[in-house]
Amino acid sequence: MAIKGKFGRRGNQRNRRTCDDQPLDYKDVETLEKFLTAYGQIQGRRRTGYVAKCQRDLKLAIKRARFLGLMPFVG
Amino acid sequence: MTTIYEGMFLIDNAAVREDWNAAKTIITGTLEKHGATIHTARRWDERRLAYPIKKRNRATFLLTYFEIPGENVPAMRREFELNDTVLRNLQIAVDAIPESETELAQAELSDDFVVPAPPEDDAVDEKPSEEGEESSEDGEKAKAEGDEKKSEGESSEEKPSEETKAEADDETKQKEGAAASEEN
Repeated sequence: MAIKGKFGRRGNQRNRRTCDDQPLDYKDVETLEKFLTAYGQIQGRRRTGYVAKCQRDLKLAIKRARFLGLMPFVG
Repeated sequence: MTTIYEGMFLIDNAAVREDWNAAKTIITGTLEKHGATIHTARRWDERRLAYPIKKRNRATFLLTYFEIPGENVPAMRREFELNDTVLRNLQIAVDAIPESETELAQAELSDDFVVPAPPEDDAVDEKPSEEGEESSEDGEKAKAEGDEKKSEGESSEEKPSEETKAEADDETKQKEGAAASEEN
């Protein structure tokens, strides 16, 4: 059985970040690029620190930006 | 029932270079044709694309907010897909039009607004053919260099052989001279 840390697999949930103060928009490419890895993949919740709803919003915004050619799919 | 939509359209820079208002009218005219009420339509940006779309490296982005009946949306999207001037299009439903958007759209309608000319490097370069030409040129250069080296090598090889021949001739002459003196 895998050993989990003090706060479990998702870490300390009390320090979660929300996107209420700054909604995620596909046109805000500079902000969205911060949540990509070096290979252009979307970072997981453990890295971004977002709550589940904001992580879904982030995913949607990045995928819209990719479709319009504002962000790369790879690299 | 009508819904407010935010539409982002990628326009070919070739059409923008000819006439920005004509390129904008292609979008707004298509929207109005399908029963849309356009609230704002403005040039959002002109930028390099992250990957080529329809063999274009750059495109001009048009941002619009409009209301359209839901049943007309699929036909409208299909028409944009078939239009060559529109590289990509995205429509998403929004709750309300942002306050800053109307001001920015009105600024574009003023007489002082001038659309900056897009850069010329919007078409995708045909890299494989150029690389092939370069490689062939390089190959020719390498061949020419090789030929020069060969010719130099041959000449350098020839020189010692001539010298050795001359030396050998001198030696034979000396020997013959010595033999003649002994006989005398």
